[in-house]
Amino acid sequence: MEGVRGRSIYWNPIIETLPRERLIQIELKRFRELLRWAKENSPFYRRKLRGIDPQDIESLEDVARVPMTEKDELRAAQEEKEPFLYGELLAVPYESLSAFHQTSGTTGKPVYIPDTYESWQWLVEVWCYLLYAAGFRRSDRVFLPFNYNVYIAFWQGHYASEKIGCEVVPGGALDTRGRIQKMREVQATALMNTPTYGLHMFEVSREMGIDPKRDLSLKKMVCAGEPMPEPTRLRLEEEWGVDVYDHIGGTESGAWAGMCCEKRGMHVMEPHFILEMVDLETMSKPVSPGTRGVVVLTPLCRRCVPLIRFNLKDIMTVMEGPCSCGRTSLRVDQVSGRVDDLRKIRGVFFSPHVVEEVIRREFAEVAEFETVLTQEGATPVLTLRLELDPSIAESRAKNVSSRLRERLKVKTNLTFELEMAKPGELPRYTLKSARFKDLTKK
Amino acid sequence: MEYDLKTIDLEITAIEDSATRLKKIGTGIETIERNADAILAFVYLLKKNISDIIE
Repeated sequence: MEGVRGRSIYWNPIIETLPRERLIQIELKRFRELLRWAKENSPFYRRKLRGIDPQDIESLEDVARVPMTEKDELRAAQEEKEPFLYGELLAVPYESLSAFHQTSGTTGKPVYIPDTYESWQWLVEVWCYLLYAAGFRRSDRVFLPFNYNVYIAFWQGHYASEKIGCEVVPGGALDTRGRIQKMREVQATALMNTPTYGLHMFEVSREMGIDPKRDLSLKKMVCAGEPMPEPTRLRLEEEWGVDVYDHIGGTESGAWAGMCCEKRGMHVMEPHFILEMVDLETMSKPVSPGTRGVVVLTPLCRRCVPLIRFNLKDIMTVMEGPCSCGRTSLRVDQVSGRVDDLRKIRGVFFSPHVVEEVIRREFAEVAEFETVLTQEGATPVLTLRLELDPSIAESRAKNVSSRLRERLKVKTNLTFELEMAKPGELPRYTLKSARFKDLTKK
Repeated sequence: MEYDLKTIDLEITAIEDSATRLKKIGTGIETIERNADAILAFVYLLKKNISDIIE
């Protein structure tokens, strides 16, 4: 097979434009290799995959017959199991480990995930694919406004920017004002952010009298850490005057999809991953492109902690048709909810994600919000707490809240109680936001 | 212009062989062992990015 030489919009022009059939062949070969590796080296998978012969995997249908891995199983395989910290998930000698990260613990006890130098470089390499697709180049000066702590995303972003050849400016030790000043001082051209913190930084820059479009040199922003509905992405683009790219990843899987310059969905990093979408009700039946499903993912090259058919619990849709950027990988739209957040209220499925979509798309007057689910007797009550932009007059505030209540009724088939909060009363988030509180689960 | 992927793959294999030999003859010298391991980690990526693609 021959590749085409020339200045490229791709990090790897050979792999990113392979025909789909070839991508699937490579993924199946890697899946067999990973199964074999996991069975030989991971006590957890040796037990779980008993009776499964890697050689029998010849198609994606065969892949779907392998049991899924749930996050609770990962926790159970670590707790009080040897070797300390990683337990039965570890599939390499302990002394070969060189990096430690952990999940955020949003849905329970954190899971500890180690990497070897090799697996860490693979994670960074995948990030290079997605940053390159978002236009990061050697000429960029990238600002990272976070302490990376034990969370994986921005460490990968840091090292991948460096590998691409960008200059990396870590701004973790500064406060928000200091970070904005530093971006101006060094004329940063690219920014990594969480969507929530991006909105907050914009608010603060306005208080400082700084207009990012006029006073900063930023051209692009890549977001990580939490789902970003399209209206939020568009709002960030409008406020900052930059191209904003979404990507998706996790500690257990690494980054696995990202937006290209077309900004229409996120390309799955094939053939580094196998993506499957299963039906929400049965959690096993595959769904076709264009239909919402739950993501099941296999990272194919991270040998130290193999992960086979991991149930991510993210609700997404595989997009139909090819992308005009020329990449042949599957594309997914942005996360439209989490299985964990999905609630059946008065017979209707409710995803808190819809509230954010409506607010970001249609209500720029809303500075911050929080959805709270409570129970009054047998009746569930949804309350939306709102913080409006301080410049909004009281008379207009009433109009905003009644319009918002109507729009939410249309979008969700549910009635919301609305409560006004004082400016600055609702929490602001830097990393993962928690704008949905279910108080019925005490 | 086109890339000769088979030749690229041969070079990747040559680097792998060479780094493996280097690690072996430098066993006990930390700087050789660790840097050879680092080279092999990048060889792993080149194999995943290029060699695996060749039919």
